[in-house]
Amino acid sequence: MRKEIVFTLNGEEMRADVEPHWTLLYFLREVCEMTGTKEGCGYGECGACTVIVDGKAINSCLYPILEAEGKNVITVEGLVTSDGALHPLQKAFIDNGAVQCGFCTPGMIMSAKALLDTKEKPAEEEIKDAIAGNFCRCTGYVKIIDAIKSCGEGR
Amino acid sequence: MEELPTIGQRIPKKDAPLKVTGSAVYIHDLKLPGMLHGKILYSKYPHAKIVAVNTSKATKLPGVRAVITGADIPVFKIGVIKDNPPLKTGKVCSMRDEVAAVAATTPEIADEALDLIEVEYEELPAVFDPVEAMKEGTPLIHEEMKSNVLKLPWRLLAGDVDEAKKNATFLVEDTYTTPWVTHCCLGTSGCVASLDLNNHLTMYSNTQIPSLAQKDYIEAMAAMGYKDRKVRIIQSFIGGAFGSKLDTYCYEYIAIFLAAKTRKPVKIIFSREEEFFATSPRQCTITKISQGCDRQGNLLFREMDMILDNGAYTSWGATTPSVMMLPISSLYRVPNVRYTARCVYTNNTYSQAMRGYGNPQATFAIESSLDQLAEIAGIDPYELRLKNANLPGEITPQHFKITSCGMKECIEEVQKRLDWKGKHGRDAGRGMGMASLIHVGGGARVYKSDGCGTIIKVDDFGKVDVFTGATDMGQGSETVIAQIVAETIGLPVDDISVINNDTDVCPWDVGAHASRTTFVAGNAALGAARKIREQILEVAAQSLDEPPAFLDIKHGIISSTRNSEKHIPLGKVLRSAHYMPHGRMLMAEYFYDPPNENFDKEFKGNLSVSYAYGCHGVEVEVDRETGVVKVLKYIAAHDVGKAINPMMLEGQIYGGGCMGLGYALGEKMVFEKGVLKNGNFLDYKILTAKDVPPVEAVIVETDEKDGPFGAKGIGEPGLVPTAPAIANAVYDAVGVRIRDLPITPEKVLKALREKEKG
Amino acid sequence: MTRYDYHKPETIEEALSLMACLEGAKYIAGGTDVMVLIKQKKLMPKHLISIRNIRDLGSIDTGNGLKLGAAATHNHIDGNDVIRRWYTALTDATGHLGSRQIRNVATIGGNICNAAPSADTACPLLVFDATVSIIGPWGRRTIALDDFFKGPGSTALREGELVQAFHIPGFGENTGSAYIKHTRRQAMDLPIIGLAARMTIGTDKHGGLSRCKAILSGAGSTSAILAGIEGEGWRCEDARIAMSVVAPRPIRAKKAEAALKGKVISGKLLQEGGELAASEASPRDSIRGEAWYRTDMIKVLLKRAIVRSIERVVRPDDGPDRARTQ
Repeated sequence: MRKEIVFTLNGEEMRADVEPHWTLLYFLREVCEMTGTKEGCGYGECGACTVIVDGKAINSCLYPILEAEGKNVITVEGLVTSDGALHPLQKAFIDNGAVQCGFCTPGMIMSAKALLDTKEKPAEEEIKDAIAGNFCRCTGYVKIIDAIKSCGEGR
Repeated sequence: MEELPTIGQRIPKKDAPLKVTGSAVYIHDLKLPGMLHGKILYSKYPHAKIVAVNTSKATKLPGVRAVITGADIPVFKIGVIKDNPPLKTGKVCSMRDEVAAVAATTPEIADEALDLIEVEYEELPAVFDPVEAMKEGTPLIHEEMKSNVLKLPWRLLAGDVDEAKKNATFLVEDTYTTPWVTHCCLGTSGCVASLDLNNHLTMYSNTQIPSLAQKDYIEAMAAMGYKDRKVRIIQSFIGGAFGSKLDTYCYEYIAIFLAAKTRKPVKIIFSREEEFFATSPRQCTITKISQGCDRQGNLLFREMDMILDNGAYTSWGATTPSVMMLPISSLYRVPNVRYTARCVYTNNTYSQAMRGYGNPQATFAIESSLDQLAEIAGIDPYELRLKNANLPGEITPQHFKITSCGMKECIEEVQKRLDWKGKHGRDAGRGMGMASLIHVGGGARVYKSDGCGTIIKVDDFGKVDVFTGATDMGQGSETVIAQIVAETIGLPVDDISVINNDTDVCPWDVGAHASRTTFVAGNAALGAARKIREQILEVAAQSLDEPPAFLDIKHGIISSTRNSEKHIPLGKVLRSAHYMPHGRMLMAEYFYDPPNENFDKEFKGNLSVSYAYGCHGVEVEVDRETGVVKVLKYIAAHDVGKAINPMMLEGQIYGGGCMGLGYALGEKMVFEKGVLKNGNFLDYKILTAKDVPPVEAVIVETDEKDGPFGAKGIGEPGLVPTAPAIANAVYDAVGVRIRDLPITPEKVLKALREKEKG
Repeated sequence: MTRYDYHKPETIEEALSLMACLEGAKYIAGGTDVMVLIKQKKLMPKHLISIRNIRDLGSIDTGNGLKLGAAATHNHIDGNDVIRRWYTALTDATGHLGSRQIRNVATIGGNICNAAPSADTACPLLVFDATVSIIGPWGRRTIALDDFFKGPGSTALREGELVQAFHIPGFGENTGSAYIKHTRRQAMDLPIIGLAARMTIGTDKHGGLSRCKAILSGAGSTSAILAGIEGEGWRCEDARIAMSVVAPRPIRAKKAEAALKGKVISGKLLQEGGELAASEASPRDSIRGEAWYRTDMIKVLLKRAIVRSIERVVRPDDGPDRARTQ
């Protein structure tokens, strides 16, 4: 029952035969073995699986893989440039102490990126709103918000 | 104090680049060749006889490689008093009881197989209330124990409480209760068990106690008939722990049994639902407390009696009274103390360690009660705290020897930053409250050893590998250890690699608990680093023809302190010492076991080398119409000895504070007849980014003489006093005292109504 | 894992015919409810028919009143300035549902068709007198949203039918609205109770809106605003109140609406309205909230939602403030 889909994954064309009942997260982690995107709950409640589809942050655990057809999907693996340079958000998370256990980090960064891509200097409330669907149990969010803020200001 | 190049600096967490790029491999990400996937069938009833289990349909499902029940495994029990078989036979005692397990080629097939296992139960009368469970004639959870009350009599006596009661001018008495709350690690629990041809076990795990888990698994292997086998534990990146991985769980043994049966690596990963109902939460408590003081406000006594719902089995939750004793005996100067606690079996879930290990529950009662005492004594609660604050040099009723102590400074910081004197006591919908804490800050001798080993190896190019027993579960121990080693040797921190995840390679450590890692593993690293520095200077002395006493290492260059002409890069020295007849390679090891004491039979003794202090203060606004409590300002002041890495230390305070806010205002596992009703992130209310109030972390440095560079522990203290600080602030704002956590709008509004009625 | 086939029709007709010929088929829009139900094995479809790719189904038309395509996402609605200005209660709801990730895909049609007693967009749509246009194997029909909800998870949709759009009339400058979602958390939460109000106010005395502005400028709290209004003789020309999580389905508080209509606005009137609305509710105890508390909150939130609606008549440009708590 596999169906072929074509979409852009981290800037490159991805062509694959997929089972229609797969989620985007399943495809990324189990088929592509891109394990940077995490599964924290499987129900769209924790945000660990956040990726960007056509510019919008979404929970990939609830996203049917066939909806990715023709779309532009960016995961945490797509942020590092080809010469190995970190994305400014990744650097800001490191420098601001926004990473502890790190399990929420990829999803958190993707939510932040989706925000900064539409708004260069978001207000603190906008940052909080953008990451409110990304649970973190380690940091109390303070340094994550600092990191995102520093990135907005640094542009 | 002189600024040091590495210690005290905001150095980013060493593994952060791996984590921000998604390259860090967590247990969920791990795949081994031929690996099977295990799933567990849990009980359908909180208390029932297992009449029959039929696995034949499940076994026949294509892709299923093994189905096991309690009958297929050796008689073997785990837990603090060995009362918990990994797969149950005869009967189930809680909803999380493991009845059968499957290994299959995919998780989906394993899941499908679970549905095909037929279990016939005969329901038994159950008991869910510990008070009820103590009564004669209630169903026994473990018949062979003859009683539901555990034979763990927690009892601490100091001074003469009865006499002190007579002398007290002011006396308060009340009852406080706290709920089960759970860790909510973002990465769920999991492991991969793999046996080689000789039945040596490799366990890929996210445990926070590798050396103790090793011992647990060795026992399991022996029970299976694999005596004297080697167990290796490799820790993947840990997606949060907070105490949840301080004990081994049934699922880990199930993975081992399945791996033995299938001869394939078996992976078990918890779903989020399992993570909620099948891991062990923070111990819930019912606490009766009484405190009294003289006319001047000097505390005279503290008496507490607790009932703990032990659940159906016994893990560390049953031992949390040992840590509750810390604040009970030694938070503020209180000469006469009496504490008793009973743990009672019920058909509920069983508890484990969670950040604070009993301290948050005890401190909630003590610090709430202290405000009640202040009120009837007519003393400002801040003044009362200051008056009774612990002092350096004091020996507490439990025989703790207080060394460094910044409690007064912390209280003053909170008072100042909240503008306490101007704003407390208005009863105007806005209010403020404070609460302090004491915790172990210099290890905790709960086992016979409280040690940690470190090995340091220097390569030919001046790069340093540090092998430590200390586990990093996100808190940043690997970075702190690297800083300590870098500072001691005189190298940039980037030249230090820390290897901390493999029992084949790393020395022994008792585990990441009791806020001990910076102190104990830090001292172990310090000891090894000093030894390797000596060795380096010894070989450099030959190269430079200068006695070691006149040599120093800075940024990887060894130079003479009296002749600036004489200097040489570290790598060159090392190579010249290595590539020669009878050459040497530099390595050093150090085992640090702090000079602290196990409790004696009366639960007295200097448990820790030093003690951590702190004080939290909050300003809240209470909506009188809805009962909603809004935290406007939150000050968290902590005596940390010395901040080796202020950035990561603040991370512990913010993270702890946020967890404390959840405990205070929203988190509660709701059980109905043993069934968890809110085992998901929607209904179990951990805070979102939008819920976090402005928090200010205040670091008070007291330079602990025994700590590495003066440091004490900070892992747990951040959440200990949050709930009572908020409860006290709510009282200050609207005059109602909430004695049962969490402080929900319903409870506040109900209390307001009752107050209006008079 | 439930295995199913996944279909992506591009027209409504195609969707309907797929639904007609496929056995065990279920429509899916954003998937934030459907995918969860499938994962929980509460739903085991053989086919999912996605309506995400049907042209125009996701559109928002503000030309004549408001027409919301069923597949319009919460985020899409949230970003619409016309809705923010004229149908503010709806923005209050779309901006506070779940998380940004959920709002980016979850559709208003899905929220309504899921028919949860707690559905966030239900209350605003009810107070705006929304109608639902439905298309199915037997053709098209339009019903009032109030007649659409039947019970928890149950709607007036017949087999194979699909919601196409919601239609809302236009309202004048003297109408304001608000939705208050009373939650334990500021995000990722379902309401303990939700309440929406729409108020049309008559300010014919004393020179209309400009005088209102003067009175309300600087007044912050609900009680301060109410105190400012009291005695000014402003009349409630029309009112709608809708509540969630207080009955098996989102409901209108029709007795309260009737009691408010035509009356001069005062604290006492809102108190009476609140009592009536509470009498129309039948909340239950659940782990998310206790019945007595929900009943009590109806009275509080009714007052607050009405005052906020009036505020918005007076200060329409302020709009909903996301950071604002209740």
